[in-house]
Amino acid sequence: MKEALSLVQRISAHPDSCCWFVSWSPNGALLASCGGDKAVRIWGREGDSWICKTVLQDGHQRTVRKVAWSPCGNYLASASFDATTCIWKKKNDDFESLTVLEGHENEVKCVAWAPSGNLLATCSRDKSVWVWEVDEDEEYECVTVLNAHTQDVKHVAWHPKKELLASASYDNNICIYKEEDDDWECQATLQGHTSTVWSLCFDASGERMASCSDDRTVKIWKECPSENGQGNLSWKCVCTLSGYHGRTVYDVAWCELTGALATACGDDAVRVFKEDVTASPDEPVFSLVAQETKAHSEDANCVSWNPKEAGLLASCSDNGEIVIWRFKEEELD
Amino acid sequence: VEDSCPITDSSILLIESFFLTSRFRGEGYQEGFQRGTQRGLHNGWRHGASHGAKLSSEISFYYGFAISWKCLLERQSDDRSRKRLKALEALLNLTQKFPLDDPQSVKLQEDTEKLRAKFRQVCSMLNVPTDFKDYIRTAEGTSF
Repeated sequence: MKEALSLVQRISAHPDSCCWFVSWSPNGALLASCGGDKAVRIWGREGDSWICKTVLQDGHQRTVRKVAWSPCGNYLASASFDATTCIWKKKNDDFESLTVLEGHENEVKCVAWAPSGNLLATCSRDKSVWVWEVDEDEEYECVTVLNAHTQDVKHVAWHPKKELLASASYDNNICIYKEEDDDWECQATLQGHTSTVWSLCFDASGERMASCSDDRTVKIWKECPSENGQGNLSWKCVCTLSGYHGRTVYDVAWCELTGALATACGDDAVRVFKEDVTASPDEPVFSLVAQETKAHSEDANCVSWNPKEAGLLASCSDNGEIVIWRFKEEELD
Repeated sequence: VEDSCPITDSSILLIESFFLTSRFRGEGYQEGFQRGTQRGLHNGWRHGASHGAKLSSEISFYYGFAISWKCLLERQSDDRSRKRLKALEALLNLTQKFPLDDPQSVKLQEDTEKLRAKFRQVCSMLNVPTDFKDYIRTAEGTSF
């Protein structure tokens, strides 16, 4: 089987700055990007190329680190180093600032919407993870402040099927949170990485999770029943991908449509891994199937699979660029 | 006939002064050690008292804060106020259960963090800006 990563378009998205993150809208038609220029940009396809549809410039006073679309696609959240998270509401082709979530003591590193659309999670350099609830009147309220990490929390991600939250931190750990007795608490601390965990994501079913780290590895975790047979599930590392990345792995993304795993690395490369179908699900084996060593001229910060168009991948870099790739798997004859 | 190593008056003086120095050093060390122990105890006591006072005043602040807001919101019956009251009750509960009498409590760190987290959440719900400069110092630096 021959796989290839081919370039569709290279965009100078955040000129004279860095592009920190890219995120596809739930219908796959729009791509949101954010960067060191304090702006959020929305990109859409016009004919064969991607063009900038909207620029959200005045939402933040400092770098915008991450953006996230609500499951319905009508809202966009932006997390910034200015310690706030802005919620934008889509109005035709434009976005207006709905509200600003304040509370973190310093830089907000990530924001993520729960699949239900009712909950939002943010995390910060202040070592805490906040869960917010939104009601029908578009009012946001903080439901809990979680202090399970001892250092800067880099990323939060929601489980696709249950109300479960995962966070990654500079303290080398991953924490899993669940709501128990009307209050959120840390249910498990996953140790294994030997340096900062920069990002994590769940696969389409939520049975497995991928994490990436400054220790240059990607780890695959699987949910398994705990030893004493009680309700609480535990997560075990079932696979470690090492030796592929030359530097810190900053982001990992699991394609819901194809199961392919993409990574963004500090060695400027974008890589795609695929699982060997023959291996046992408890001991998965992943192989490198595509690699673009000079994907960017500087660190690759983020990778994101289009949720509707299989094989469409976006990546972005410290040099302010976004690149749209097509990952093609060719069938064996 | 001469000795190979004649013991002269000056040699005797040298030897005697060596022993005297050692003895005085020993005595000096003992005295110094005792003084140091006392000083250390004194400093440690002051340190502990200062930290205890700081922590206690922080907890009491949360208590006063929660009681005041509870009084302000108690009469309101709307959904929003009810949610806020619930959070305030939780905060009050945490302040009351705090082991102020037990500085050696293993749960001290954990309880302090839970309390601070609850306070932050309540402030967020009440739209009260938090200014922690007196209690927690945050380091500035480059962020990634």
